[in-house]
Amino acid sequence: MIRQSVLVTNKLGLHARAAAKLVRLTSRFSSDIYISRADANQQIDSKSILGILMLAASKGTRLVFSIEGEDEVEAGDSICRLFESKFGEEN
Amino acid sequence: MASKPEKIFWGSGVSPGIVLGQVLKMDSHRRLILKLHIENAAEEERRFLKAIEVSKEQLETLKSRMEEKVGREHAIILDAHLLILEDRAMNSEILEIIRRQNANAEWAVMQATEVFVNAYKSLEDEYFRERHSDIEHVAERILQNLSGDHRINWGHLPENLIITSRDFNPSNFATMDFKKVRGLVLESGGRTSHTAIVSRGLRLPAVMGVRDFLPDVETGDTVLLDADNGQVIVNPTPGRIEEVRGRIEAFGATMDTSVAQSGWRTATKDGTPISLRANTELPHELTAATASGAEGIGLFRSEFIFFGHPEGFPEMEDQLAVYGMLAREMRPHTVAIRTLDAGSERISRSPDLMNPENPSMGLRGIRLSLNAKEAFRTQIEAILRASCEGKIEIVFPMISTVEEVWQGRELIDLVRSKLLKTEDLAIADIPVGAMIEIPAAVLSLEALAKEVDFLCVGTNDLIQYVLAVDRGNPNVAYLFRPLHPAVLQCLSRISEVAQKLQKPVRICGEISSNPFFAVLLLGMGFTQLSMTPISIPTVRRVIQALPMEAARQIARKALTFVTTHDVHQYLTRAVSELIPWDLKSYANEIAVTSPSNGH
Repeated sequence: MIRQSVLVTNKLGLHARAAAKLVRLTSRFSSDIYISRADANQQIDSKSILGILMLAASKGTRLVFSIEGEDEVEAGDSICRLFESKFGEEN
Repeated sequence: MASKPEKIFWGSGVSPGIVLGQVLKMDSHRRLILKLHIENAAEEERRFLKAIEVSKEQLETLKSRMEEKVGREHAIILDAHLLILEDRAMNSEILEIIRRQNANAEWAVMQATEVFVNAYKSLEDEYFRERHSDIEHVAERILQNLSGDHRINWGHLPENLIITSRDFNPSNFATMDFKKVRGLVLESGGRTSHTAIVSRGLRLPAVMGVRDFLPDVETGDTVLLDADNGQVIVNPTPGRIEEVRGRIEAFGATMDTSVAQSGWRTATKDGTPISLRANTELPHELTAATASGAEGIGLFRSEFIFFGHPEGFPEMEDQLAVYGMLAREMRPHTVAIRTLDAGSERISRSPDLMNPENPSMGLRGIRLSLNAKEAFRTQIEAILRASCEGKIEIVFPMISTVEEVWQGRELIDLVRSKLLKTEDLAIADIPVGAMIEIPAAVLSLEALAKEVDFLCVGTNDLIQYVLAVDRGNPNVAYLFRPLHPAVLQCLSRISEVAQKLQKPVRICGEISSNPFFAVLLLGMGFTQLSMTPISIPTVRRVIQALPMEAARQIARKALTFVTTHDVHQYLTRAVSELIPWDLKSYANEIAVTSPSNGH
């Protein structure tokens, strides 16, 4: 299992469109991928948009991904890239 | 199902009667959703998954159409809806409910949605909190695809149903099969709630405010509903049922015959003619109105057509069908249609029409209609067209200024001349009335009365506005006092002005169905009362035993007291001396209650 910490840097935070992109991305991997806010314990399934939106992660929120499975490394990289690209919204 | 122990619950009996029936559990959302027991849960799961599949296809079509028309950026929200539709957390919850409770898919969808919606509603961030509406949209789509036309198939249900729910939107009455529904038990609500009023109108026994009731009942349980005593007994023992069998049969018998009436005309003992009409809002009530011998519909509350409608504003044709039917059925009598009287929050989802802070003083009644002119025009067109089928009157609610009457009349003229021009449809003048329910209308009644053909007094709202009491608020409900001296002064003034200007005036509030209050109104000079059909026979009997001069004396004297308590004491004593029957329950209905009451 790997843990990956990311910072929400896009202006709108992890809102519906960004969350949709994240679900689409994580659903491509066979690994189990869970997210929690760095400031809270509750883990949610990153393949559930309702879970992700419930994190209410606005700009500046730090999130921790817990990824476990065959393609965990690849999944972690892709997730980091998505956050770094600010979900392709502010280019 | 193994036999369960008897359990007794208490609430307030808001509509009298006693019936034995089977529980049908209902969801409390706008939509009428019942909890059914499904034998084959696997089949139900498949039905749910199929609905998801169909919903998905619809959303994808919608999405590609939106991408073409308004651009990719906007279509992305549908992407989120697609993901919600396939959400693992949500769907596994729904399947779990189907499997574990042998529940129907509709019920499972509503239950699971509620859990998520509530979780979202508790979020601090406004954007994320608002996402609950996306969940609701998606659930709505699934429900539509589950039930096809999403109407309940009443054909499969037994004939003695007792509907139970947390709360109950009165518009649900519109979709019920009254041959099968025998009673109503709610955890919320009270005597003055709209649902209670409609229940009484429908003669449907109802007990409300029954605390912590739902966890102990399931669809199919036997229940004894004794609304006369505010009692609900789940799984009553055979001995218990035997005890009340006589009362149940007696009540059933009155249901069949008590609306049958001898004559149509009503007059006081000394021959003063009094016109009794019916307040109605549902097509079902029409039968009761006719059977009670009502001389027409004194007030048709048109909002029900609107509440039952998914978009809020029904088409002209839909409205015409209802108004036309009313006009035909009530011939030769008149039908007074009150234009939409609802707060904007009940009707529209458009944010600029929402004002939930203080709705009774907000954008409602004629104000909302003049604001949403297109919808208003549609309603007026439907009413005018229906007037070709019988005698129709039109009433504007919430009138507070003369200008509102002018604007309303102007629109009527406009629609009428357009119908003449485009369709060669000559529509006669129809009488236009104003609801007198805002204190300003009472104070400037002389000016208003000159602009209309007749007046309707909406006593419920008038009392609420004169006394500044929201009767839905349990903390102040005890101050809702129909016999408050200020209310009586208002009514007396309305009668005087109407007589002076020779304008017909009609009392259209629940209160005129109270025999004591009816005597008071007659004594003040009102000769037209409109009330829920079920009350007409009782009020007629009282009037027939009443000498007019005695009523006048009672009214004169009642106006001299300074407290509601003294008015009540005098009125009940004086009327009881004239009327030989036991009217005690009616006396309690208008009694002064203490602040702690109703909690």
